[in-house]
Amino acid sequence: MSALLDIKDLKLGFNTLAGYVDVLKGINVSIKPGEKVALVGESGSGKSVTARIILGLLQEHRDALVSGDVQFNGQNINTLSPKDRASLRGKDISMIFQDPTSSLNPVFTIKKQFLEVLSRGDEKLSRKSRVDRATQLLGTVSITDPKRVLNSYPFQLSGGMNQRVMIAMALANHPKLLLADEPGTALDVSVQAQTLSLMRDLVTQNNTAVLFISHNLGVVREFADRIYVIYKGNIVEDGPTHCIFNNAQHPYTRALLAAVPRITGTGLPDVPEVSDEFLAPYVGHMQVS
Amino acid sequence: MRTLRILARNPLSVVGLVLVLLIIFAAVFAQYIVPYPTHNGSVIDFAFANKPPSARNWFGTDLVGRDIFSRIIYAYQISLTLGVVVLAVATPIGTIIGLLAGYVGGWVENVLMRLVDIFLSIPPLVLAIAMMGVLEPTLTNAMLAVTVVWWPWYARLVYSIARAEREEGYVLAAEVIGASAVHISFREILPNCLPAIITKMTLDMGFVIIIASSLSFLGLGVQPPTPDLGSMVAEGARYLPDSWWLSVFPGLAILVAVFGFNLLGDGLREILSVDK
Repeated sequence: MSALLDIKDLKLGFNTLAGYVDVLKGINVSIKPGEKVALVGESGSGKSVTARIILGLLQEHRDALVSGDVQFNGQNINTLSPKDRASLRGKDISMIFQDPTSSLNPVFTIKKQFLEVLSRGDEKLSRKSRVDRATQLLGTVSITDPKRVLNSYPFQLSGGMNQRVMIAMALANHPKLLLADEPGTALDVSVQAQTLSLMRDLVTQNNTAVLFISHNLGVVREFADRIYVIYKGNIVEDGPTHCIFNNAQHPYTRALLAAVPRITGTGLPDVPEVSDEFLAPYVGHMQVS
Repeated sequence: MRTLRILARNPLSVVGLVLVLLIIFAAVFAQYIVPYPTHNGSVIDFAFANKPPSARNWFGTDLVGRDIFSRIIYAYQISLTLGVVVLAVATPIGTIIGLLAGYVGGWVENVLMRLVDIFLSIPPLVLAIAMMGVLEPTLTNAMLAVTVVWWPWYARLVYSIARAEREEGYVLAAEVIGASAVHISFREILPNCLPAIITKMTLDMGFVIIIASSLSFLGLGVQPPTPDLGSMVAEGARYLPDSWWLSVFPGLAILVAVFGFNLLGDGLREILSVDK
């Protein structure tokens, strides 16, 4: 099967007052339709900018220099016109963020925002059928009283509720690719786990491909089919989830795995901030497909 | 209803609301409620000139025998019209410039906000006086002068809010679903600026009235015989303290209007910040 998203030798740098900063040093990522892929790395490793590039947001930033190939569904996002890029967003590609409550505009009801998202997918849909669709979609994320939720403002709902609303909105227009940038990191752990399993079921049903961006390997283990580990703008290791967990080869991946705190109380391991070992060459696991 | 309840919790803002409503009512229906409807023009009645307050003339009469109470009500008409027109023009201009600068950023922000800074660096009254010195002293020109000194404050206010809102998640979320810059500025960010804008407009009504009165106090605003609070105070000031009613009542009228709008504005600020 050909890849839905194929990133080849993607480089990104920023011109800043202090000079040129290299952020991505040539990464390769590919996602097949319906595949759930995680991009894992520490803060500042280049995870989130990768998502911004897939959305075509950074290409329009005047201080960002993007090179390489980002093929999405047969189109090169880097060379598309800004207008064509904008038309992909919200339809073929959508995104879920860290903090669901702040991702919703505080001065509008959920209903108004949901209907706007739906009309982005199909402008001809009548208001009534959009309301019905929103109600039905909220049902799919296990919201039992969609009427009340639709008429609420974001600040009247809990973080977990808002997260579900965001998931329902993100999947409303049947995107081919969902970018999840540390979804639910702002929520408490149990709520995060609930919404993530909900999200996993839904994307599996809809056959939506997911790029899951996280710093937390534990969360990713439950969710992803395949994992890319990114360190300082380089992919250092990639492979099927079980290979990464059972047979990590790269020193940085091992350090990352060791850094997950365990409930047995052995304390946090000493992970050096920078180590020459982490700069070891890329390790690719055999693709079993 | 909820709005009224919150307003009622703060008695001072109720006082403000009542004062403002009274002033608006009086100004709108001036012809029907003033005791001497013709006294807004050049009526001369020397038999009753310069009389202290009495049952016939509650606030006394001026030097040519016109009823001061009637003239104050008519002057409110002018002040309110001026305030409404100035704010109706200055607010959208300032808001659009502030939104553009705050959301678009880059050189647009630099050019627009430095322009705003230039205007803000000159004291408003001085700038308005300078403009009126060049222009003919008419009501329209007074409105123009006050508008020119007023819009930068809105640009600054909206800019600072837009700047902060731009970093909010919902703006990124809107960008991500492909919303245009215009949509994001006006449909996402602007509604979040409205509470501050509305509060400032209410507070500003009072200040616009003061600055307009200051202009006409200096003879640079509305010209006689049209009644204006500022020029009435100026005219009577020469006869203080003997004919105190000539300037004290128009002065009190300015005070009451500014006081009312300020109290109401403070109340609104509380109500609108509760929503957030």
